[in-house]
Amino acid sequence: MTVWPEERLVTADAFNTVDMTINVGPQHPATHGVFRMVLTVDGEMVVDCEPYIGYLHRGLEKLTENHDYRQSMGWWDRTDYLAGMACEMAYCMAVEKLGQFEVPERAEYIRVMMVELSRILSHLMFFGAFGADVGSFGTSFIYAWRERERIYDFFEEVSGDRMFPTYFRPGGVQMDLPENYEDRVRWLLGSIRQGLEDFDGLLTGNEIFVERCRGLSPVSQEQAVDWGLGGACLRSTGLAYDIRKVEPYSVYDRLKFDIPVGKTGDVFDRFIVRMAEAWQSTKIIEQCLDQMPKGLVLNPDLPKTLRIDSGECYIRTEGTKGEYGVYAMAKGGNKPYRMKLRSPSFCNLSALKQMVVGHYVADAIIILGSLDIVLGEVDK
Amino acid sequence: MTNETASAYPGVSALVHKHLPKVPFTADKTLTDANITVEPAHFLELMQGLKERRELAFDYLRNVVGIDMQDEGLVCKYQLHSMKHRHSIQVTVHTPPGNPHIPSLTGLYAAADWHEREAAEMLGLVFDGHPNLKNLLLDEDVRIHPLLKAHPLQKMEIAQGIEDRDPGFKF
Amino acid sequence: MLFADPLFGLPSWVDAVIRVVIVILVMTLVVVYLTVGERWVVARFQQRLGPRKTGPGGILQGFADALKLVTKEDIRPTNADRWVFELAPYATFIPVLMTLIVLPFAKDWGVRNLALGLFYVFAVLGLNIVGIMMAGLGSGNKYALLGGVRAAAQMISYEIPLVISLLCVVMITGADMGGGVGTLNLNVIAALQEDRPYIVLQPLAFLIFFTAMLSELHRAPFDIPVAESEIVGGYFVEYSGIRWSMFQLTEYASMWGFSVFGSVVFLGGWAWPFGVDAHWTVQLGTTLVKSLAFIIAIMWMRVTVPRLRIDQLMNFSWKVLLELSFLQLIVNGFILLYDWPQELLALTSGIGAVVLIALIIRHSTAKASKGLVGTYRTLGSTPQ
Repeated sequence: MTVWPEERLVTADAFNTVDMTINVGPQHPATHGVFRMVLTVDGEMVVDCEPYIGYLHRGLEKLTENHDYRQSMGWWDRTDYLAGMACEMAYCMAVEKLGQFEVPERAEYIRVMMVELSRILSHLMFFGAFGADVGSFGTSFIYAWRERERIYDFFEEVSGDRMFPTYFRPGGVQMDLPENYEDRVRWLLGSIRQGLEDFDGLLTGNEIFVERCRGLSPVSQEQAVDWGLGGACLRSTGLAYDIRKVEPYSVYDRLKFDIPVGKTGDVFDRFIVRMAEAWQSTKIIEQCLDQMPKGLVLNPDLPKTLRIDSGECYIRTEGTKGEYGVYAMAKGGNKPYRMKLRSPSFCNLSALKQMVVGHYVADAIIILGSLDIVLGEVDK
Repeated sequence: MTNETASAYPGVSALVHKHLPKVPFTADKTLTDANITVEPAHFLELMQGLKERRELAFDYLRNVVGIDMQDEGLVCKYQLHSMKHRHSIQVTVHTPPGNPHIPSLTGLYAAADWHEREAAEMLGLVFDGHPNLKNLLLDEDVRIHPLLKAHPLQKMEIAQGIEDRDPGFKF
Repeated sequence: MLFADPLFGLPSWVDAVIRVVIVILVMTLVVVYLTVGERWVVARFQQRLGPRKTGPGGILQGFADALKLVTKEDIRPTNADRWVFELAPYATFIPVLMTLIVLPFAKDWGVRNLALGLFYVFAVLGLNIVGIMMAGLGSGNKYALLGGVRAAAQMISYEIPLVISLLCVVMITGADMGGGVGTLNLNVIAALQEDRPYIVLQPLAFLIFFTAMLSELHRAPFDIPVAESEIVGGYFVEYSGIRWSMFQLTEYASMWGFSVFGSVVFLGGWAWPFGVDAHWTVQLGTTLVKSLAFIIAIMWMRVTVPRLRIDQLMNFSWKVLLELSFLQLIVNGFILLYDWPQELLALTSGIGAVVLIALIIRHSTAKASKGLVGTYRTLGSTPQ
């Protein structure tokens, strides 16, 4: 028997492995924009995650502080660029609250209708992108695009632009709806419902999709509140926190709709809650069309240059991704003294590390996708 | 409750005063919420009470805003919400000029982490006890505070003479 | 054993070279049209048009793509292992090319007719992993490394159920040839299916074969090694130009090769339904149509289903497919040993296939129904 020389004995040290860092982004198909996260992986398991943001920082708040109230509208469109109207809504509400400006009733209904259309727009984008994250080769993306293009056409008709409409104004909306618009919106709703059903068929019932998403990264209610999650991520835990119901603004208190909530707060719940929300939005739009009065759409009493003496407020609206809040402070003049955006994606993304650690690399991508971030909003 | 105390503590702040009588603060109202103003020395005590007293239960940190009040120093405002009681409040902390130190809330609210990092890089606030006060939105090695009022809007505007204020640093 | 007399009475090796050249040319043409064909099929599934501009109806798009790839710059990363990196595309491509040598496209139409054809295909195809690992390690890229390791793990585990499902067929060929050990000769296997294809007798084995085949080809839902949304293309992430197109060539050539192979073993190849004595054009057409059906099914899967995770993939292979394929093998053994009628083979295997499908559906609907029906309760107009 040959004796193995001592120095060539294989000890346990020889099998020690080291963790590997993978840089995901800023140019990576799954990061939904310019977002970077550095994953430390042990084989296929994520042991640490460090997100880096700010690649799209445009100094929104600084710009707003240095421009007229009406000039800043366009930049607020570009925060949540998947649902520009929802951001305009919050900004206009903040200015109106500071200056105590009245908004005509018809304008309120038009606003709510547009915001809900934007919500559907944003959720459709989520379904498409999320399907691509899970790996369905762009089919879900293209499915989402059909309905999105139609909604964009409707936005273009009222405002002249598709993604960044700049349609709302402090004190109302820019112009009244075009002729016959309401009837066509009803037709659009039918098309949207068809699209949502198609999505249901493509993703919700798919065995592999369910297998991948169900039970993945569950979040408890306490955790969600502590991490400051918002929107569908928060409601998927079972907490019925929707600002449209909790602190109703605009005309939401006159509309009947439900808050879909999940049970476990896992990735599948986040998906299904958004799916249900899109259905609720179609209901809201229908009621808006039914209740919409005739009349003015823009408050005619507003001066050409808005000057606000003093005041501060924190306006919160239910944005498409969660609580879209605007802190505004005025100290005279035609510019705000301070405007701060509380962006829901920013808060959701800040919990990414806690959610991702301990999962597979492939799941980390899905969890990131399920947060439904928009980098324009995260980076301001 | 007399009329006098009701006017001194509007809205939810009356409740806060009732359950946290030892913490000194002044209260007023913004256009949307009740606002309580507190010294940095008592800030952590107040926040702990706000979160942990069952009657108050402000468990959801919505937002952290830093504001440059120029001569009066930096101000930090916290918007809180209670999921249980469905009420909201705003907490304001004034820091003296030249000494922008505030205790960090990361021990109480995990959500405070990124909000505080953002306020720190944008305004130069220092949150004592924050585990990782690196730049978040700006480059890691940049040491400017863009949201200070002294910071000019654009370099080009300074070069063209449109902006004439002293930026306070060199590009 | 040669297929037939050498063409024009040429020496045997000259004949072989001519046949290889023909196979390579046909393969290139097929791959060019598979790439553009996949784009058409996917476009149809996604409600769009697909490439329509190059040539009438877009039929020249594949050549335009190939030309573009050839003229692109060939980039080598500085920290790549030079020779490993540069040789990896060929190391993946050559095994696939070698498998094409034994495939019978029609009676007596193939390069060589090996007695161990079926065995040869898998012996050679196993070498594919070497090239993929070379690409993964040599690129000096972490995504590539992950992709290479994933590919190796996946291909090794799926080769076992794949081979066993084929063994089930080989057992039956023994009975068809009048007792004995059966044959591994692909030409003979095809000819034995003149009356009925083996998919009728062995649906379960076919299902297992098809699943494992998707996995070997890195096709959805098993495209884990090349997952675009996770590791950005996997082991060939650092390749460009002609070397990248070698990988593409490998992918589509092996897809085609596997389709022809699968149609020979399970769908009756050139023999069914027109018989061994049909004209060679008819036989060639039969093989092509069957392999096309395979390819369309693969593309269909790709556009419809999401991707599995690596542990789910492994579980499915080791805990489900392997057991079922062994079971099939044992049941076949009993039936053939006691000379029970062949209808029993079809029956048992059919039951197995139904059980497999039911298992998958039950497994996920048990989860899904919980999710779909009960996961969200809607609250009324007042919050809590």
